Amino acid sequence: MMKTLIAKEVRANLLSFRFLASFVILFVVVAITAAVLAGDYTRSLDDYSQRQAEIEKYLRTYAHFNRIQGVLQATQPPIPFQALVRGLTADVNMEEFDDDPLPVMFPLIDLTFIVTILMSLIALILSYDAVCGEKEDGTLKLMLANNLARSKIVLAKFAGGALTIVGPFLVSLAAGMIIILAHPRLGWAGADWGALGLIAAGAIVYVSVFYLIGVLISSTHRSSASSIMTSLFVWVLLILVVPNLSPYVASFVSPAPSRIKVYREMRRLTDVDRDELGRKLSDEYRAEALRQYPVLAERLTESEVKSRVAADAEYRKAYEAMRAAVEKAWADANRIQGAKSDALEADLGRKEKAQTGLARAISMASPLADFSYLATDLSSTGTRNLEHFGRLREAWGSTFYGDYRTKKLAEFKARNPTADEWNTAIDMTDAPRFRYTEESLGGRLGAALAPFAVLLGYCVVLFAAAYAAFARYDAR
Amino acid sequence: MTWTIARKEILSNLLSYKFFVVLLLMVLLVATSLFIMHRDYNLRTADYQIIRPKPGEPIALLAPNPLSIFAKGLDEAMTRSFEIGSVGITVRAGQSSGNVIYSFFPAPDFLYIVRVVLSLVALLFGFDQVSREREQGTLKLVLGSSVSRAKVLAGKWLGNFLSLAVPFLLVTLLGTAVLLLDPQVRFSPGQFARLGLILFLSVLYLGFFLSLGILVSALTKRAATSIVVLLFIWALLVFIIPNLGTLLARQFVAVPPVRALSEKHQQTWTREVLLGMAKGVDRKEGIATIIRENDQLEKDYRLKFDRLVRLSRNINRVSPSASFLDAASEIAGTGIGEESRIKGDIIRYNDAVIGRILADWNVIDKDKTYPAFTYKPRSLGEIFAGGALFDTAWLVFFNIISFALAFVAFVRYDVR
Repeated sequence: MMKTLIAKEVRANLLSFRFLASFVILFVVVAITAAVLAGDYTRSLDDYSQRQAEIEKYLRTYAHFNRIQGVLQATQPPIPFQALVRGLTADVNMEEFDDDPLPVMFPLIDLTFIVTILMSLIALILSYDAVCGEKEDGTLKLMLANNLARSKIVLAKFAGGALTIVGPFLVSLAAGMIIILAHPRLGWAGADWGALGLIAAGAIVYVSVFYLIGVLISSTHRSSASSIMTSLFVWVLLILVVPNLSPYVASFVSPAPSRIKVYREMRRLTDVDRDELGRKLSDEYRAEALRQYPVLAERLTESEVKSRVAADAEYRKAYEAMRAAVEKAWADANRIQGAKSDALEADLGRKEKAQTGLARAISMASPLADFSYLATDLSSTGTRNLEHFGRLREAWGSTFYGDYRTKKLAEFKARNPTADEWNTAIDMTDAPRFRYTEESLGGRLGAALAPFAVLLGYCVVLFAAAYAAFARYDAR
Repeated sequence: MTWTIARKEILSNLLSYKFFVVLLLMVLLVATSLFIMHRDYNLRTADYQIIRPKPGEPIALLAPNPLSIFAKGLDEAMTRSFEIGSVGITVRAGQSSGNVIYSFFPAPDFLYIVRVVLSLVALLFGFDQVSREREQGTLKLVLGSSVSRAKVLAGKWLGNFLSLAVPFLLVTLLGTAVLLLDPQVRFSPGQFARLGLILFLSVLYLGFFLSLGILVSALTKRAATSIVVLLFIWALLVFIIPNLGTLLARQFVAVPPVRALSEKHQQTWTREVLLGMAKGVDRKEGIATIIRENDQLEKDYRLKFDRLVRLSRNINRVSPSASFLDAASEIAGTGIGEESRIKGDIIRYNDAVIGRILADWNVIDKDKTYPAFTYKPRSLGEIFAGGALFDTAWLVFFNIISFALAFVAFVRYDVR
């Protein structure tokens, strides 16, 4: 019986105008997006290799250790998955004078967008009248007059509907994959295909959530006209409102101090305040040294001091003690103020992290955000990758500035002992380069589990709710 | 007669579930958006007060624009601090940089609400105007009396437009009034006029979607078909065309990535310092080389970027949603045009003071004073001449054409 019911749902959907329209739109948009994004990827790949070539040229001729950190930096290369998912890869560059404001005004369109906006809309369009539509047509009465459990009908409606959406989605995705495969310069590795499979699985769950929302709403409404209103209302809230509000709400609930303010404060602590403390401490320590070595109280000119230090061993000791006292004073001042400034920075970091976590948690109430996190983390274009990149950069930094620089400086010093080893050009073509490797699929999957679980949870809860609503539905 | 039909539409809307849902959505969204963006504005203003340059410092910094509460646009990029120095222009970004979740989703400002959510609402007012009345059989009755179809359509449009625009304007004005209770938010009379223009554009934009809804409903026999078609057109106009258009433009205009520019700056600068130290050449000569090379690079970038912006704007104009976004954000003073104008002024300011900064190399900080940076936002006249007039006319054109097509479709409509 189940089979018959599902087959009926699928057939009814397949023959409908809305199915055809959805299919065409989905197919065209996926194909165009994949083609345009693949072109964009190859362009950014060219740009990237050109930038690397410039750096190589520099390393050969002008590299010097004093300012190498400005030139040789860890940069994220474009990754092949950008042909489908863009995530946070837009090159906005707010830290530099020449920025690129276009992505701020017009966010990029990619597979995440297609799934989150288009597919959810399609799911609702197909499901908003699943129950009330049949009631209006009068077929619901007929169906229930047979010996059919209501649970079976809900399950069949869900299964049949989900099947009819998944079909066009997979076909469109296949079109996108063909474009990627046919692209000569887009080498997708096994992990990429694996990630794509997982993203597709996530998309199916995501679409199911919206199909179930449609079924639930349609079994709480008498007419399909009001059902579509409520469906769209819920859709607008979940898709267009909750995620966008979440960071702002989080900044309200869990405020973090302004970065600008904290950096100002840190600069004051390690600059003006440090000088003040340094002067105060050196006065104290000098007074101490003076008590120990009264000989220092004598007022001498600089040259007199020099000659006396050379001649008088006792005076030299006193002089050294005085110098040590002053040095200690400044070291103490640096340490104390540095600790204060570090504490401020750590506090800022903690609060920002708390705020980001809260914003993420709030936004996860929206299936759109769940799917966005799932897709961007799986494709190494999301927050998870930012952290991964940070770790790689740190590891590379310690090999470069630790081992390599120490070795290179020592070599140089051995060859020319008198030269300024920091400000002389040294051939650094043998320097360890930053190599970006994507995180293993297992690690990415771990990050995607939480949003996936939320989506699955939504599915279960919504199905139960849809069943409860349908069981109480008045079929007359 | 037109007015009678309009009144009937308004009354039947007032009683409908649809109207209730829409009103709820409007109040909820406009209020939350204004509240949240107002807070964002206050935070950014507080930041501005902290980093405000002391008199004499060569720093270009603009105060946040109060209209950014309605149209955030690029206000965050415009209110960064630009510090002129011998190594180039140092930029410090502001507030929201700590929380990456901001970059996942667009800012929920008033413009976003109108452009994305209320356009959908306007479609919902229009999608069943003709087909539903046919399904219910009332269309026959109306046309059975001696009313012309033109009058019926005009009445329908007017009635639905009023039931959409009046609550919208009321909610917005009420929200603005509440906003003005905060003494930190000060609008000048000119800014009030700009706000009025933005509201006018919003209403125009919503009017287009209403006509579009009526058009499609007059082309389809059933309301269920009409809504499906409309939802896809909506997704196409609001999301797909504007966002894909920008990407498409990049395929035609090759703009170097902004990272390449900053890397090149660093390379030139460190190279010249090294060469200067090694050969003991005049420092000024090295700096002249740096400035010359960077200027060339930046000029080239800006030229290409301007071309990219122009092209992507023109592609995007296929969608009235992009036209609306461009025109409204330019009028608010937070658009792409305003940003590039500010940058141009900062470059001129840089050129004006950089000579003195280099000459003052050995002067202690306290004694250095430079003229302050002043920026005069573009006047409405300039904004309109720079594209907003075209966009407004374009929106009017979209309104007229969709209404005219709706009329044609309705005249040919088979009411049986």
